[in-house]
Amino acid sequence: MSGGPPKGLPSTGPHSLLDMPHPLAGSSSEEAVGGDSTPSPDLLMARSFGDKDLILPNGGTPAGTSSPASSSSLLNRLQLDDDIDGETRDLFVTVDDPKKHVCTMETYITYRITTKSTRVEFDLPEYSVRRRYQDFDWLRNKLEESQPTHLIPPLPEKFVVKGVVDRFSEEFVETRRKALDKFLKRITDHPVLSFNEHFNVFLTAKDLNAYKKQGMALLTRVGESVKHVTGGYKLRSRPLEFAAIGDYLDTFALKLGTIDRIAQRIIKEEIEYLVELREYGPVYSTWSALEGELAEPLEGVSACIGNCSTALEELTDDMTEDFLPVLREYILYSDSMKSVLKKRDQVQAEYEAKLEAVALRKEDRPKVPADVERCQDRMECFNADLKADLERWQGNKRQDFRQLLMGMADKNIQYYEKCLMAWESIIPLLQEKQEAK
Amino acid sequence: MEQAPRDPERQLQPAPLEPLGHPDSGLQAAVGEEAEGARDEGPGEGTMTENNFWLKKIEISVSEAEKRTGRNAMNMQETYTAYLIETRSVEHTDGQSVLTDSLWRRYSEFELLRNYLLVYYPHIVVPPLPEKRAEFVWHKLSADNMDPDFVERRRIGLENFLLRVASHPILCRDKIFYLFLTQEGNWKETVNETGFQLKADSRLKALNATFRVKNPDKRFTELKHYSDELQSVISHLLRVRARVADRLYGVYKVHGNYGRVFSEWSAIEKEMGDGLQSAGHHMDVYASSIDDILEDEEHYADQLKEYLFYAEALRAVCRKHELMQYDLEMAAQDLASKKQQCEELATGTVRTFSLKGMTTKLFGQETPEQREARIKVLEEQITEGEQQLKSKNLEGREFVKNAWADIERFREQKNHDLKEALISYAVMQISMCKKGIQVWTNAKECFSKM
Repeated sequence: MSGGPPKGLPSTGPHSLLDMPHPLAGSSSEEAVGGDSTPSPDLLMARSFGDKDLILPNGGTPAGTSSPASSSSLLNRLQLDDDIDGETRDLFVTVDDPKKHVCTMETYITYRITTKSTRVEFDLPEYSVRRRYQDFDWLRNKLEESQPTHLIPPLPEKFVVKGVVDRFSEEFVETRRKALDKFLKRITDHPVLSFNEHFNVFLTAKDLNAYKKQGMALLTRVGESVKHVTGGYKLRSRPLEFAAIGDYLDTFALKLGTIDRIAQRIIKEEIEYLVELREYGPVYSTWSALEGELAEPLEGVSACIGNCSTALEELTDDMTEDFLPVLREYILYSDSMKSVLKKRDQVQAEYEAKLEAVALRKEDRPKVPADVERCQDRMECFNADLKADLERWQGNKRQDFRQLLMGMADKNIQYYEKCLMAWESIIPLLQEKQEAK
Repeated sequence: MEQAPRDPERQLQPAPLEPLGHPDSGLQAAVGEEAEGARDEGPGEGTMTENNFWLKKIEISVSEAEKRTGRNAMNMQETYTAYLIETRSVEHTDGQSVLTDSLWRRYSEFELLRNYLLVYYPHIVVPPLPEKRAEFVWHKLSADNMDPDFVERRRIGLENFLLRVASHPILCRDKIFYLFLTQEGNWKETVNETGFQLKADSRLKALNATFRVKNPDKRFTELKHYSDELQSVISHLLRVRARVADRLYGVYKVHGNYGRVFSEWSAIEKEMGDGLQSAGHHMDVYASSIDDILEDEEHYADQLKEYLFYAEALRAVCRKHELMQYDLEMAAQDLASKKQQCEELATGTVRTFSLKGMTTKLFGQETPEQREARIKVLEEQITEGEQQLKSKNLEGREFVKNAWADIERFREQKNHDLKEALISYAVMQISMCKKGIQVWTNAKECFSKM
C-alpha cells in the first residue's frame, strides 16, 4: 500500500465519494478519472464512464457492460470482459438430471452438475458431480462469507411452506432444478465469484462432505477484515448512489410482492374457472344424447370446451412453474442485497468513526494511522465491488424481467390461440346441413 | 262480440277471426296469409318469403319500455313497466312502412294472452314468454325486475314472443291476438268474456290423468319424457354457464391490477419504465373487455331460456293428450258398465256386484215396472254414451293429428334455432379469443421494449 493520500476511486467520478474529501488531505483529492500513472494494485482498475451521473437506478448504464470488480487475487490477470454473449466465456456449468435417493435415514434429490472449462483453476477440462440442495446452501453461505462485498445470487426457497406441495413431484423438482441452474450460471457469469475457491470445489470435488469438514478455506484480506466489522457505528452520510439503490430496492421488492400476489390470484381464479368449465362441457354431451339432428353439433361444442379446458390447465401450470418462482427469486435477491448494503454502511461508518477519532487528536500534520488507511481501503473496495455488482444486477434484472414478462404474454397468447383453433374448427360442423333423422 | 262455442266438451275451437268493424280488414287477411308463408322462417319479423305474393307485410315491434305507477287491484300503489307495441304494415310496392297501431301493454297482459292461447289451442306448442323474474344470473347481473338491463332483455323477449305467435300458421289467425295488438282499451274484458278461465283444465285433473291413463299414445309418452329431460339439461346448462361467467369475470378483472402496479413500478425504473407503463395500459384494456363479452353472452343464455320454457309448452300438449285419453277411457269404461247393468237387468242375472243388487237382496226385489223404467233409462244413457264416445274418439284422433303436426313444425324450428344459437356462441368465443390474442400481443411488444 502506497503511503500517499488515498485517491478517490476512478469509477465513482467527481460526484459521490469525493463529496467527502479526506480531512487529512492537503488539497482536494486528485481526480483519478482515466487512470493513474501509479495505480495501486489494490484499487479498482475500472473503466470510467466519464462524467455521467452515476445514481444507479436511473444511471442509464448500458446493459451488459459493467466494470469488473477485482480484489487482490485478480492483480495479475487481464481484465475480463463480462460478455453476456459468452463469446469469451471459458466456463460453462449446467444443472440437470434430478434423481431420487432413498436411504434409511432420509429421502432426497440430487442433481448432476456438469462443468466444462479451459481455466487453469480446473485440472480437468470437464467435470460431472452430483449435488443436493443442502450442498448449494453450503456453497451460498461460503460465498457470502468469503465475498461479503459482492452480491450473491439467491437460492430457491429451502422449505416449502405451502404445505400441500410434494417435494418429490416432477413439477416441483423441475422448478427447483431451473432455479439451481440459474443460481450457478449467475455465479459463473460473475468475474469474481466464478473464481471463488469454494465454487471450484463445489463443481469438482468427488467428496464434498470431506471438504466441508476441513477448516476454513482461504479468505481474502478484505473478506477477513469485513467479517470483523462489528457494527454499531453511525453513518454520517451515505453516498447518493447507495442511498438511491436502497430506496429503489425497497420499492422494487414491494412492487414485486404485489405482482406475486396478483399472479397468484389470477392463477387461483383461472383454476376455479377451469373447475366450472370441466362441469360445463359435459352438460352439452348429456344434451346431445337426447337429440337427433342436434346431437353432433352439441357433442362438438362439448369437445371444444374440453379442449379449451386443457389449454387453460396448461396455462396455469406454466405460470405456476415458470413465472412465480422467478418473481420470488428476485424478491429474495433484493433482500440479500439490502443486507449487503447494510454491511457496506457499517464499513463506511467504522471508517468515518476511526477518522474522526484521529482528527480529534489534533496532532500537527498527523500521520494517517495504518488501521485507518486499512479501513478506507476496505470501504473503497467494498464500494467498488458493490457498485459493479449493482450495475451488473440492473442489467440482468432488465433482461430477466423482459424475458419473464414476454414469456407470460406468450403463454397467454398460446392459450388463446389454442382456444381459437378449437372454436374455429367447430364452425363448419355446426353449419353442416344434416340429413333428416 | 264474438263468443267461444258454447259446448265446453267439444274440442275447443278458437274464436274465428272477424274484423269487428276494424277499418283495415285487408290487414287481417294479410296477417294470416303471409304467416302461412312465413312458417318455415324463424321468429324474424313477419316478413314475406319469396313465395309470398301478398301485398302487405306486417312488422311488429316492442320498441320501448317505460316505468309507470298505478293502483293495483287492492288499491295499493305499485310500479310496473309498460311496453310499447307498434305494428306496421309495409306496402309491397314502395317498401314504405306505415304505422297502423301502437299501444302500451304490461307483462301481466302478455301473460293473459298466453294463458288464453294455451286454453284455446291445447294442441299447439305455444311460444313461451320471457321469464317473469331474473334467474340463472351470474353475480354482476341484477336480479331486480326494475333493472334497466333486465327490462331491456325482457323487451326483446316480449317482441320475440309476439313474432313467434305472428309467424305461427294457426295462432296468428286468432282474433284475441289481433286485438291484443290493436285494441288498447277493453282488451282485458274481451279476453275474460271468452270465459277461457272456466274452460281451463284443473291441474288436479291433469295430474290425476297422468297417473291413471292406461293407453296413451306412445309418441306422447316419449315426448313428455324428452321434454322433462330437455328442461333438466338446459337448466343445468344455464346454471353452470352462469358460474362460468362469474369466474371468467374474476380472471379478467384481476388482470386490471397489473395495470396499476406496472404503472407504480415504472415510476422507479429508467429504461424499463416506458415498456411497463404501456403494457399496464393494455392490461387495463384486457380487464375492461370482459363486460361487453359477457353482455353478448347473455343473448345466448336468453336463447337457451326460450327453449327451456318451450319444454314446458311441449309438456302441456302431452298432458292435454293424457287428459283426453283418460277422459275417453273413463267414458268407455262407464259405457261398458252401463251396458252390463242393462244386460243384467234384462236377463235377471247378476254377474257383477253392485250396491243396488245388494240392497235389492236385502230390502226386497223391485217390481217389473221399476225394472222396465230402469232399463229404459239405461238404454237412453247407453245411446247417448255411445254417441259421446264416438265424438270423443274423433276428437282424440283429431287432437293427436293436429298436435303431432305442430310438434313436427316445432321440432324443425327448434333444431334450426338452436343450431343458430350454437353458431353465434362459437362466433362470440372466437371473437373473445381474437381480442385476447390482440391484447397480449400488444403487451408482449411493450415488454420487449423494456
